[in-house]
Amino acid sequence: MGLAKRKAIYVQYAQAVPLKYTIDKANCIYFIKKGKCGACKKICPTGAVDFDQKEEIVTLNVGSVILSPGFAPFDPTVFDAYQYAKLPNVVTAMEFERVLSASGPTMGHLVRASDQKEPKKIAWFQCVGSRDMNKCDNSYCSSVCCMYAIKEAVIAKEHAGKDLDCAVFFMDMRTHGKEFERFYTTAKDKHGIRFIRCRVHTINPVAGTDDLEIRYITETGELKTEIFDQIVLSVGLQIKPEIAELAKRLGIELTEGRFCKTETFEPVATSREGIFVCGVFQGPKDIPQAVIDASAAASAAGEILSEARNTLIKHKEAVTETNITGERPRIGVFVCRCGINIAGVVDVPKVAEYAKTLPYVEFTTDNLYSCSQDTQENMAQIIKKERLNRVVVAACTPKTHEPLFQETLTNAGLNKYLFEMANIRNQDSWVHKSNPELATEKAIDLVRMAVAKVALMEPLKEAELEVNQTAVVIGGGIAGMSAAKSLAKQGYETHIIEKGKCLGGQALNIFRTPKGEDIAEKLSGLVDEITKDQKIHVHLDSAITSVDGFVGNFKSTISSNGKNDVLEHGIAIIATGASAFKPSEYNYGKDPRIMTSLELDKKFMEKDPSLKKIDSAVFIQCVGSREPDRLYCSRVCCTHSIDNAIELKKINPDMNVYVLYRDIRTYGEREYLYKKARGMGIIFIRYSVDNKPEVKPEGEKIMVGVTDHILGRRLSLEADIVTLATAVIPNRDEKLANFFKVPVNDDGFFIERHAKLGPSEFATDGVFLCGLAHYPKPIDESIAQGMAAASRAVTLLARKKIHTSGTIAETMPAVCSSCGVCVSICPYSAPSFIEETARFFPGKAQINPVLCKGCGLCVASCRSGAIRLKGFDNDQIFAQIYELSKAV
Amino acid sequence: MSDWEPKIASFLCNWCSYGAADLAGVGRMEYPPNIRVIRIPCAGRMSPKFFLAALTQGADGVWVSG
Repeated sequence: MGLAKRKAIYVQYAQAVPLKYTIDKANCIYFIKKGKCGACKKICPTGAVDFDQKEEIVTLNVGSVILSPGFAPFDPTVFDAYQYAKLPNVVTAMEFERVLSASGPTMGHLVRASDQKEPKKIAWFQCVGSRDMNKCDNSYCSSVCCMYAIKEAVIAKEHAGKDLDCAVFFMDMRTHGKEFERFYTTAKDKHGIRFIRCRVHTINPVAGTDDLEIRYITETGELKTEIFDQIVLSVGLQIKPEIAELAKRLGIELTEGRFCKTETFEPVATSREGIFVCGVFQGPKDIPQAVIDASAAASAAGEILSEARNTLIKHKEAVTETNITGERPRIGVFVCRCGINIAGVVDVPKVAEYAKTLPYVEFTTDNLYSCSQDTQENMAQIIKKERLNRVVVAACTPKTHEPLFQETLTNAGLNKYLFEMANIRNQDSWVHKSNPELATEKAIDLVRMAVAKVALMEPLKEAELEVNQTAVVIGGGIAGMSAAKSLAKQGYETHIIEKGKCLGGQALNIFRTPKGEDIAEKLSGLVDEITKDQKIHVHLDSAITSVDGFVGNFKSTISSNGKNDVLEHGIAIIATGASAFKPSEYNYGKDPRIMTSLELDKKFMEKDPSLKKIDSAVFIQCVGSREPDRLYCSRVCCTHSIDNAIELKKINPDMNVYVLYRDIRTYGEREYLYKKARGMGIIFIRYSVDNKPEVKPEGEKIMVGVTDHILGRRLSLEADIVTLATAVIPNRDEKLANFFKVPVNDDGFFIERHAKLGPSEFATDGVFLCGLAHYPKPIDESIAQGMAAASRAVTLLARKKIHTSGTIAETMPAVCSSCGVCVSICPYSAPSFIEETARFFPGKAQINPVLCKGCGLCVASCRSGAIRLKGFDNDQIFAQIYELSKAV
Repeated sequence: MSDWEPKIASFLCNWCSYGAADLAGVGRMEYPPNIRVIRIPCAGRMSPKFFLAALTQGADGVWVSG
């Protein structure tokens, strides 16, 4: 990003995949001066530099294409009043992100660009290049900037300390994602970040300094001047022109914001059959939503290609495992140089020499890169030739490379658990570079400890499990049906368990989508497809009353109409949905003219003639959402109310329509609706949570009192109907959560495996998640997540067989005192008592190897010492501890 | 001032602290080379016997993180 200097050979960034160097042709002497230099080629020990590499055109025969070309951050140079190009301390959020990064140009030390001074005051300007038709052509909301600005402000304070003053200048605060509202509140209340509702016009340099002066108007109408050390422009997301060109070549339609055009009920399908889309090209979105889309697109492609599944797969030849029982340990130690990553600090030959002196070590060597393919093949040869039966690799970290080296062992016919790594890079050379001698000592100790442990390692077995090819989807709403449809199309028998009398869920109550599609029509089409599909079995009026088993082999009891059936299935998708909050405030329930959004939808669906007689309508937003006891945004209500407001205006253009709101959150291209509504004369009045509107039926009319945010005066609105945009409340189901051992958060939504990277699955293997049970979301996102959950499930189902880990706990029943501590303490319910009627060891503890995650909690808690953890056994850990005594 | 340096045995959970120690490396954050890490599958694996063994083997401190 030009924040720091780099050489003409570089890695794009520390986390780049693949993490390989590349030559910058525009700045390389060899390319500029036609063949001069070329030093890199001479010096590269592996001969990896190839100046003759050329672009190649490769033709691939494919059945489907997925577009995920991403976005470009908006270039704020066109905002001349912000002088981004001229003032070094006006930076984009992306640049600021790099400054905060530990691998960034200042190693995460927060300093400003002009003078490397630590800033004391930083401001963020929101909506730069978003929601703007004057300076740019992006009238959409970029969806992510409010949240990333808050995150940057919080991290900046973490880096610089409490005294750093952070101010975010915004129009509407859009923290509509899961847990985002809570983050926003904490940023305000706990971290003291200032949030100022104002779009600042100009940034002026302060003469004689590098500081920046701005003038803005506070909410009370006061004009203020403030000086900041640094200003961060929260730039929006936009589609690159070359991507728009690509879309043209492919013949797919774009939206007015130049995003790929999709339909609500097919959220990842482009206008051309077989071409799917995911990520920001589908619409501005954050990481979890992009991950959901990606899985959904994979599912969509999988649906049309399911017949071709596994036809291009190459199978690996299995190597028979050598039996090492009774053999004396013969340990091989491979010390890695990792180029200069390790060898630049640690004296690698010395470590390798030392390893030779250790007991049972028969072979040692050092490798330039232990992970390279030729070294791997070489290692396998050495293992065979030297008849090694234990291997230690002293290199990077087992977290990333253990599986790779274990594969090498497998290829050499050794059980993969006869292996140990010594972490001499991440936890040694990289962190002690100014102390090479002590780093070498540490490496020697770590190798000695690893050798002592590996000598005691034994071959371990991994249980192989058949994966039952049947799927169960709990909940027959839009998300559940989409998941089921996708699974069935990919060839899997699927059961939908729906507690209600019909399929459809909340979609049955909604009039139409913000894109104008008729929901009832689309929904009946989907229900039709589901009921006609031979592979889908719908169980209405049904509930799950018990669940046994584990990933690949669940046994659930389905109770329908007093009848119990046991169903065996390999995976489960939870799509239990949510419902609309029924408020007790605003006189709801006391007057039929005061209704919820869904009740208004019902009137639209029934074409209620009373709607034509309305002269004045008021919408109240955030009823039950974003309040201390329900600190989340319900995400769908702003768009829904605005769409309904527009519908009323269409019925009667003379109608007075008011929307009382806290922040309008029409994220992404939903923003167009907000713009359209204002254009139609719908009046938006902001209220604050501590000064809520008052609703009182008075004779013919309903009087709505609200304090206008511009006038600062109490207004009295006469309304014929009042619509309350009430919160989305999850159908909290603790029983189901217990059955599948999945967590639920304070609000009652299920907690996914990973907030960003695993939004559609649980940490519990074989259980997946979608729809409103995860978090409030509109129909398109529910469908995408339903497809995503199906996609994640298929990755498991398609394997047909799975292996469990070998590093698991095992009881020694002869020593067990049947105290039951392990049974009660295990978070995965792996231990149980052997049945009293069993012939051997009745009443003693046993551990289910499939459920055990190998944490060792039971091992440490066992008072009889009757449990051992294979791979991390007592003697193995003690061996490491004993070797510490020789450490300097 | 003596030039005595403590020797610290550390037991790090594979899923959090061990990964964090790896990340400290990725970020090239320097710290004194006095610790020797033993990777455990979870802090729940930690047994009092490991503390005692480390101390009797000459560790001046034991650090468990998970």
